[in-house]
Amino acid sequence: MRSSWQTQSVLLAVMGAFTLVNLVPILWGLIISLKQPGEAFSIPPTLIFEPTLIFHREVWVEKGFLSFLWNSLVIAAGTVFVSVPIGTLAAYGLARTRSRQASTLLFGLLAIRMLPQILLALPFFVMARYLALVDTYTMMILAMVAMNQPFTIWLMRSFFVDVPIELDEAAMIDGCNRWQAFWHVVLPAVRPGLAVTSLFSMLLAYNEFLFALILTGKNTKTLPVAIAEYGGEDIQYWSISAAAAIGIMLPAVIFTLLVQRHLIRGLTFGAVKG
Amino acid sequence: MWLFMLPSVLVMALVLLYPFLSALYYSFTDYRLGGPPTSFIGLDNYTGLLTEGRFWADLLNTIGLVGISVALQLVIGMALALGLYGMTRGVRLVSILNFLPHVVTPVVGGIFLKWLFVGRWGLLDATLISFDIFPPDWLGDPFWARFTVVLADTWKFMPFLMLVLYAGLQSFDTALLEAASIDGANWWQRLRYVILPMMKPLILFVVAIRTMDAFRFFDLVYVLTNGGPGTATETITLYTYQIGFRMLEIGRASALGMITLVIVAIMVAGLIWFMTRRGREAF
Repeated sequence: MRSSWQTQSVLLAVMGAFTLVNLVPILWGLIISLKQPGEAFSIPPTLIFEPTLIFHREVWVEKGFLSFLWNSLVIAAGTVFVSVPIGTLAAYGLARTRSRQASTLLFGLLAIRMLPQILLALPFFVMARYLALVDTYTMMILAMVAMNQPFTIWLMRSFFVDVPIELDEAAMIDGCNRWQAFWHVVLPAVRPGLAVTSLFSMLLAYNEFLFALILTGKNTKTLPVAIAEYGGEDIQYWSISAAAAIGIMLPAVIFTLLVQRHLIRGLTFGAVKG
Repeated sequence: MWLFMLPSVLVMALVLLYPFLSALYYSFTDYRLGGPPTSFIGLDNYTGLLTEGRFWADLLNTIGLVGISVALQLVIGMALALGLYGMTRGVRLVSILNFLPHVVTPVVGGIFLKWLFVGRWGLLDATLISFDIFPPDWLGDPFWARFTVVLADTWKFMPFLMLVLYAGLQSFDTALLEAASIDGANWWQRLRYVILPMMKPLILFVVAIRTMDAFRFFDLVYVLTNGGPGTATETITLYTYQIGFRMLEIGRASALGMITLVIVAIMVAGLIWFMTRRGREAF
């Protein structure tokens, strides 16, 4: 398949052109965020203009998006701190057990992914009402843990499976008990996996919309809900909401760069090791 | 060993099992937030929904929208994966750039797309109008709104298929491809008779994942069309949202959620059955 210089250049040109088209929506958003509203919707659209950053400043400082960012970060971090430790323990247990029950449990976890999110959102909403936990971080974090747990377990399990079981056995011969073998020997070996799993869980919580729409309110509103309220409808606000959109996107870009080597594994529940 | 699983199992019982069982219970009641006291009404919610035109229209919408966009994603994703596979340099840059639409917060992605398609001021309309072409109403006309939603879903999920299929291509034994070349197979024949059969399990795997996702399809449509015009792009999830959180009829919405779950389970079981049956034939 590896081919001549000409085929390579054609391939590169085609792939490059496709990439550009694929990114048009994002680039257009970026351009709007840097334009004065008057210019943003001129016909024909202009590409040459004097860029301004005032809208980026306005949205984060004056429109209070910084506090929505804070809410988003608290919820994402809270989710990771609850979901990843317990998920990692369970993943280790499952990776080192060969019983029927263990594989039943694993497939049960996969089946949870079939649950329509909205089906769980309904009881969460009712619970939040009854416990007076609407518009609190607690409820939103609990919901995110629920959505995350099967994913965390599967992904972490795939990292544990990569660690040879002889390592545990050697540690236990040297006098460690199960827990010490896990804590001092196996866990350090999966540190990259732990980082990747945490990052993925964080992104899932950061991007979540449906649950945030239902469970958060004035005090805990996250970025996706805030930007959806701003909408793209009213052209008067285009520049400001474009600035917000670009800002909200940045963590996702950083995330992609951080986990680039593990993207495929994360996307497939650890089933495909890229 | 089971001790390691205990914390997670306890938490899941609290945040997954308990809500699930409550939803199951609600689905047999006329529970309405802020409404009269709840009473048990058996299967009335289910029969009501299953005899309703809007439910079937939404189901058809969901399956149609997702069926078409998954087919598109598969074809484009496969083409891109093959492109990446053939490239000798720049693979990482191209794959990461193309991957961005997938990690961008879905709501934000929806808004980006809206700025392309929104009537008159959107990039697409503004460009077409400058060339004196009169564009259709992308978001306001039932046909074009469906078209736009399919495009949006494709934009978001095509990178996922691209990366997974590319990983599949990389794990191949290249000797097989070389052997096919030596035997005189042209590019198309190599694709059709060597690459695709080997990729079949992976393709079915991603299609299964996307089928499950289909019934979670919410953010993008919510921002782009909110199910409109009328209910032309309304998916099952959007309808459940309307019943549950706009009309606050928790009982009826739970029943719809349960019906959705059954549909997803049947579809996934069908895919698994298909996969294992074909698997035995192939090996």
